Amino acid sequence: MTKTLGCWVALAALALSGCDSMDTGEPTEDQRGDGTATIELAEFPDRPYWGDTHLHTDLSVDAFGFGVRLGAEEALKFARGDRVRSTMGMDAQLDRPLDFLVISDHSDAMGATRRLYDTPRILVRDPTLRRWYDMMHESTNQSTMAVAELITAAANDTIPEALMDPERQAVATRELWDSHLALLDRYNRPGEFTAFAGFEWTLMPDGNNLHRVVMFRDGSVKTGQVVPFPGIDTQPEQLWDYMAAYEANTGGRVLAIPHNSNLSNGMMFDLVGPDGGAMSADYARQRARFEPVVEATQIKGDSETHPFLSPNDEFAEFGVAGWELGNLPLTREATPDMYAGSYVRSALLRGLTLEQQMGVNPYAFGLIGSTDSHTALATGDEDNFFGKQTNVEPRAGRALASQNLGTRQGRFGWHYLAGGYAAAWARGNTRAEIFDAFMRREVYATTGPRMVLRLFAGHDFADSDWDGDWVRAGYARGVPMGGDLVDRGRAPVFLVSALKDPEGANLDRIQMVKGWVDANGVARERIYDLAWSDMAGVRRRVGGTIPAVGDTVVRREASYTNTIGAPELRATWRDPDYRPGQRAFYYVRAIEIPTPSWVLFDAKRFGIDLPAEVVEANVIQERAYSSPVWLKPGRSPGAAASPAGRE
Amino acid sequence: MIRHWLRDPLAHFLIAGAVIWAALALAGEPVDPASRTIELSRERQAGIAFGFERMMGRAPTDAEMDSAIERWVREEVLYREALRLGLDEGDAVVRRRLATKMDELAGAEAALARPSEADLERWLASHPDKYREGDRLTFRQVYYSSESAAARALASRDPVGEPISLPAEGVAMPLAQIRGTYGEAFTARLAELEPSSEWRGPVASGYGWHLVRLETRSAGKTPQLSAVRDRIEADWQAATIAERRQRAYALLRGAYTVAIE
Repeated sequence: MTKTLGCWVALAALALSGCDSMDTGEPTEDQRGDGTATIELAEFPDRPYWGDTHLHTDLSVDAFGFGVRLGAEEALKFARGDRVRSTMGMDAQLDRPLDFLVISDHSDAMGATRRLYDTPRILVRDPTLRRWYDMMHESTNQSTMAVAELITAAANDTIPEALMDPERQAVATRELWDSHLALLDRYNRPGEFTAFAGFEWTLMPDGNNLHRVVMFRDGSVKTGQVVPFPGIDTQPEQLWDYMAAYEANTGGRVLAIPHNSNLSNGMMFDLVGPDGGAMSADYARQRARFEPVVEATQIKGDSETHPFLSPNDEFAEFGVAGWELGNLPLTREATPDMYAGSYVRSALLRGLTLEQQMGVNPYAFGLIGSTDSHTALATGDEDNFFGKQTNVEPRAGRALASQNLGTRQGRFGWHYLAGGYAAAWARGNTRAEIFDAFMRREVYATTGPRMVLRLFAGHDFADSDWDGDWVRAGYARGVPMGGDLVDRGRAPVFLVSALKDPEGANLDRIQMVKGWVDANGVARERIYDLAWSDMAGVRRRVGGTIPAVGDTVVRREASYTNTIGAPELRATWRDPDYRPGQRAFYYVRAIEIPTPSWVLFDAKRFGIDLPAEVVEANVIQERAYSSPVWLKPGRSPGAAASPAGRE
Repeated sequence: MIRHWLRDPLAHFLIAGAVIWAALALAGEPVDPASRTIELSRERQAGIAFGFERMMGRAPTDAEMDSAIERWVREEVLYREALRLGLDEGDAVVRRRLATKMDELAGAEAALARPSEADLERWLASHPDKYREGDRLTFRQVYYSSESAAARALASRDPVGEPISLPAEGVAMPLAQIRGTYGEAFTARLAELEPSSEWRGPVASGYGWHLVRLETRSAGKTPQLSAVRDRIEADWQAATIAERRQRAYALLRGAYTVAIE
């Protein structure tokens, strides 16, 4: 029967075919994909490249449900600097283009509608016809669908060649994923704009957020050999298996980026293994291998640390309010004992402790920011905030309006941040260079401003290095952010520089955040102020404290002036609390002077009166977090300390 | 005339439809809309195994195959029940997804097609502005934290400036990169200057003030096809896909009458 049908269709098609050429030729460089040997590279990473690794488009079922009607193509155009029309009809454009983008639609979104995007089997001879046949026998709805498919195929000349030449079926197999990958390859432009393939793996047991963004280094020749891995019914170990298989089978590279640990109720950075027993060294190794970077700040809050964990950190409250209450949908409240597993700084500390116990650190990750925008618009800018999702694109009152994630329990529109960006220190703008920067953790997070942040760790840096080519010296005699520095029995010395965003606010201060395991096996943290504006003048340190930088924000105008703060802050810093054999990490936090958040820009634009406490909570000090440098014990690790946790 | 008719997609549309219906009418097997029998044919099982293999890069173990089939059956049961309940109707996601699939189908052929040399040349000739390179500037700059210090230093033949972590010079640097590094205000001023051996300024930036010496400016040219072939091919494809989709839509739309009350 099916055979007869097949012949009918083939014949009909044959008679009608226009026979366009389908010669695919050799893979192009773009398809080969990673951009190697396409552009001239700098001698060493000479500038940060700016990107967003976490963006949803209409391929994500939730984003779609919230109303977005922009797809990947508009997302790519917007990110590279073009003007696009937002779903709600507003002109949308970045004031400065991004250098790279990962579109990370939920794999489950695609999975939930899998039936609908399964390979169009019209391209497969007998099974297709069998399927149509089945569909037509099944119900009238199905029948209508089958015929619609068939007619479309005929109208588009797509039946004939596939049927006439089965060997081309593989080429002609078109899934949503394949056409998405082809689109990315078209927009990927080495040296100018990098479009990464990726997806979001959305594991959420009981509403506790264990999400990861998965990011590929390669073009469609390799990424087309897999499809996105579903989050439903799977575990992180299975995701890593999937990633390992991808690398083994294609020779490509892939990494995963956990995000919103702040909404995981302590599960993201657990001290124990996934089954509640002791964490195995194998689990730790896998995690360290596949998850080199964590997204520390985004629209749904900032995960650096919490005032409960860091009581001596006067800047710890940023992006915590509202989000600290519990898990993602707020189906379960958080209790303070969960915080250590939810925030990045405590996770880095747990990593040191676990490393001491097992010899491998599962939480030795670098830090980036991103947006997690569900509008297909990758913007983390306070004065250009298009909302978490389409129903909160700019309009009067959105800052106070109900949103979808636990508003009744105390999460309001104004708790949402404008989102951050990822900065990658790379030698050029290609998939390979930027991906490799992520792998070696030479990346940093910002909450939106594009500050230029450098960190080098070594043993013999001195103030005199600043007089010469200090970046070259940094690479030659030390390790950059994300690196491991091997203990040589004397205190490490750091070169730190933060240069303000040329279009943004001045800097208040730069700080070193140190975490270490002390001789008793207790994990500790301490913050050192390295440099601040007007250090020798009005802000001379008095006792242990530095006078606040001041505040120039005119609330009603959503404006500020750079009459305070500094354009650049530099420091040569030697750890005064170093002990030989100590396991430690060091990361830099650069803090801007106070500026208005998107909420104040909204209030001005729409002429809204906000409650005083909302206004004050939205005068913020934006910041950048470098990836840490880890101080590793030299040849003989220190005597085994008691494995007491910090908590 | 016949040739024209043969190439008319509407004709394909109508004839293929007629052929299919005729074929199905000949088939004449009974339709059972209430079927609650799920048959897992060998082809279907192979499809499930292939799906697993495509994701994990290896064949499933027996246990994995069992659980994959279990998942497939679960989805199939819920899918069929959902159809019986008519849940696909009026569902915005389903509606949108089907519409997207139609667009994908329409554009798919163009996504695989390769343009000819002449196509690309024509494309470049008709979009010269799109491919013209931006101006490149070669310049030196020194930085001052105050305007007065910068103004005073202008008298010097060899101003030194204050330390800042900005490149002291740009060599044939594209405007976009200058903008990213030194900011908009600085770039706008620099772009207005004529090349000269003199230091000029003070030029304001987000960092403070600068003296600048603009050495050369090379105006962007429209490149040869060979230099931008990949880009043009990608743009040609994007445009061709969009055009195909629009044509396919116009074809289908033509068969509808829309009455707006």
